[in-house]
Amino acid sequence: MEISPDAWVLAEWQGWRLTATVGFTWLVMAFLVIVSRAITARLSEGETVSRWQVMLEVIVTAIRDQIDEVGADDPDRYLPFIGTLFLFIATANLLAVVPGYEPPTGSLSTTAALAICVLIAVPIFSITRRGLGGYLKTYIHPTPLMLPFNLIGELSRTLALAVRLYGNVMSGTVIVGILISVAPFFFPILMQLLGLLTGLIQAYIFAILAMVYIASASRSRPKPDNQPDTDNPNTAGD
Amino acid sequence: MQIDWLTVAAQIVNFLVLVWLLQRFLYRPISAAMRRREARIEDRLAQARTTRQEAAEEAERLGKERAALAEEKAGILDKARADAAELHQELEAELRAEMEDKRKTWQRHLEEERDEFTRRLQRHAGQRLIDIAERVLADFAGTDLSERIATTFVSRLESLDEDARARLVEATRQADSAVIATGRPLDPTTRGKITRALHEALASDIPVAYREDEDVLLGVRLTIGDQTVEWSAARHLRRLETALDEILDSEGRGPRAAGTAQNSAATARPPRPERSAT
Repeated sequence: MEISPDAWVLAEWQGWRLTATVGFTWLVMAFLVIVSRAITARLSEGETVSRWQVMLEVIVTAIRDQIDEVGADDPDRYLPFIGTLFLFIATANLLAVVPGYEPPTGSLSTTAALAICVLIAVPIFSITRRGLGGYLKTYIHPTPLMLPFNLIGELSRTLALAVRLYGNVMSGTVIVGILISVAPFFFPILMQLLGLLTGLIQAYIFAILAMVYIASASRSRPKPDNQPDTDNPNTAGD
Repeated sequence: MQIDWLTVAAQIVNFLVLVWLLQRFLYRPISAAMRRREARIEDRLAQARTTRQEAAEEAERLGKERAALAEEKAGILDKARADAAELHQELEAELRAEMEDKRKTWQRHLEEERDEFTRRLQRHAGQRLIDIAERVLADFAGTDLSERIATTFVSRLESLDEDARARLVEATRQADSAVIATGRPLDPTTRGKITRALHEALASDIPVAYREDEDVLLGVRLTIGDQTVEWSAARHLRRLETALDEILDSEGRGPRAAGTAQNSAATARPPRPERSAT
């Protein structure tokens, strides 16, 4: 029984193997881009708006509101990164209802890649916002003694992100596979439905956690002269 | 559970490409469209506010105009009423003047009618008087009235004072003929008697023409040039006329007393002057 789509080779050419992970990733990318392009090509700015445009607007607005709630003061800065995380993971998971499709998020390589992207994005957003010194200071906060723990926290939460998504998606696939061998009728369908819900929730969790990490690293600290903090302080860390 | 690092690298690239693609095809157009729509809605709202304010101002302006028009209308109506009242007074005055004129005209006609009546009455009365007198003379004197008149005229001529006779003689020299006017035609005998008496009295053989004149009524009027000698009933009739006038005036002040001082003044005619040489 295949556990990872990495092992499923779709094509091979001169020593290069196209694994199912990459192949289905491209499929998801193509799906997202084509749908977006098809809808945004006929954008309306008047009173009458097509229902597809309304759908896209609702999705984009909802993601931006979520980013705003987490506490970023400029949602449009993070929207492409966080929004793409959510849309990619959600689409990859939801397409699991299509027979023959293997979600690329069920591969640890994909989830690790996404987690590494988050790992890199956190310092990038933080440095562009606070400068290099400001970013590095977060590691010795509140005291330099905390430096090793901060470093460990940074790495461990990246690992947790990757494994959490991988485990949830892979387990769904595995459970369906096991159930088919045990109870081949009806029950796998229910589990598949549950898998859809789980996939959507995982996409939300991954995107929100990424945003929380970025926001906590990017948030400027209160100044010594007690100037009011312009950032939203009610955001919880990890 | 294994990680293929090549796949990881490929997925990182894939993800970054997807971020770029979605930024280009999804987030940016959607955000821009929403921003533009919001701006447009904001524009519309601002426009609507402006329009409403303009409408309010326009309504206020129209209200003021309407009030001004109402005021103007009231003013015009007042003026029209005043003009109408003035016109009414003028017309009333005109009507009164016209009525007064008519009344005066009517009064004048009345007076003329009365005068005419008086004249006719005079004439009738004179005629009747002459008739009566003639009949009385004819009955009692046994002679014709014309002859009597002639006789009287002849005796009058004879008894003319010197001054009058001289004026008549003077007139015969200038005039071609003498004219005898009587109310009734005279018979040839009487005419001859008068002609003879005239020739004797004036010592002249001036031709004498006989003429009838209604106004003479009874008697004789001699006209030579611009000299006139008259012995007739006209004088008595004029006295009678004066008496009749007085009677009519006293009656006119009775029931037809609409007449005023002016009325009575008009009727109080001066007596006609007597053109008598005697």
